[in-house]
Amino acid sequence: MRTRLSRRGLFVSLALFPLAGAANDALVGDWMLELTGKGPRLVGQLTLGRQGDTWVAHVEGGPAEVRVDGDNLDVRIDSRDLAGFVFYRRLSGRYADGKLSGTFTIEGATEDPEPGGQWTGVRKLPDRAPEPPRPVDVSGIWTPAPGVDFRKYTMDLTDKAQAWFEGYLMHYDQPNVRCVSPGIVAMVAWGAYPFEILADDGRLTFIYEVESEVRRIFLDGREPPEYYPTSPMGYSTGYWDGSALVVETELLEANVRDFRGEPVSDGARMHERYSLSDDGRRLSAVITLLDPENYRVPPVRRREWVRDPATVILPYECDPDSFYRQMYDEGKLDMYFERSERRLIE
Amino acid sequence: MASACRPAAIACLLLLQAQADAHHSFAAEFTAEETATVSGTVVEVWFRNPHVRYYIEVEAENGEAQRWDTRGTSPSLLVRRGWTRDTIKVGDKVTIMGHKGRENPHLLSIIWVELADGTRLGKVDY
Repeated sequence: MRTRLSRRGLFVSLALFPLAGAANDALVGDWMLELTGKGPRLVGQLTLGRQGDTWVAHVEGGPAEVRVDGDNLDVRIDSRDLAGFVFYRRLSGRYADGKLSGTFTIEGATEDPEPGGQWTGVRKLPDRAPEPPRPVDVSGIWTPAPGVDFRKYTMDLTDKAQAWFEGYLMHYDQPNVRCVSPGIVAMVAWGAYPFEILADDGRLTFIYEVESEVRRIFLDGREPPEYYPTSPMGYSTGYWDGSALVVETELLEANVRDFRGEPVSDGARMHERYSLSDDGRRLSAVITLLDPENYRVPPVRRREWVRDPATVILPYECDPDSFYRQMYDEGKLDMYFERSERRLIE
Repeated sequence: MASACRPAAIACLLLLQAQADAHHSFAAEFTAEETATVSGTVVEVWFRNPHVRYYIEVEAENGEAQRWDTRGTSPSLLVRRGWTRDTIKVGDKVTIMGHKGRENPHLLSIIWVELADGTRLGKVDY
């Protein structure tokens, strides 16, 4: 079974529209979007560019449809909700006084329909110079806060990744439905589960409730031993840039990035930047997957958590029996095993 | 089989967002546009990660018994909100509303469950 939404051709992977009216070069570049309304606040990066006579847009690294007419623009962004249902946010607005602003609406059915609202866009500031380390206390239990992340659905895949993705069966090939780790790239961006940070000298330990995964982040600059294998959680090191915790992860095993099943290659890296609010009660992260083998533009996710000392991290025992039983009941077990090799990502 | 809902009369004692906490795509198996409501007797409970499942036996319009596979989110998320493995037991009469399966006509992704005493577990804003 394969959802129609994953079929090539139904969704335009990179929508290009001819320039209409007076082209406004002031729109070209990186913008930080903020969507507000009755729903949770969202933040994301919009990149506008031109290829010849056409405008090209990316949101959080994924392609978005865009129309530009003078100072007016319309951006249509595919996203998924927490259950995986795909919908669109349509941003309509205009450029004035060096900023973008307008309103947005929702198109498509979801588990939790979002209301529309207002949006703004300001120029993304250039990266600042690194600051001396000023470590902050991020230890504790953190529960997910709603909003922030667009959960952009499609990404700008390379030809190799697109060819692999064509054969993906969204339900049957997702690792965690059969209790196999989906890996840190997927887990760090998922919505529902708390995690705990333990702080020691030279090391942070992240304990994730989902899949009961443990992740060590070495802050003392140590390198992995030569024999350290690739794995779904990879090998993480970190450092403090001012009060921001920067985490670099390597030695990732090939896996999938999110619900849609886009591949993560052996050799991919992940860059995370964690920031603690001034009152110490809110932790936010910007997560970037660096995998040029599969993505023309790096996918970006954003998360926020709230400090929640009342929560405990529960055990997560997983039993795949019901997954196999469903296929048995539906006569799909042979199909599943006949394509076992397909689930090995090259 | 189908049960008319009485939202205003139902005490919503336990609240959760059933499928809103998924950790894989339900879009592959379920449709967001179509929902169904079925009433029947619980014949099997599967309260384990990655997803709880309740198999219920429903009397079809022709009088024959139908077995429905209804699926919720993970127990880890449910127990935190008071929905334990003892909340719904084999033999209980329940009404379940959920997203319909795309291929399996007797598959539901649970949005809410109404117990025999009128307690509704699940989303209250639906």
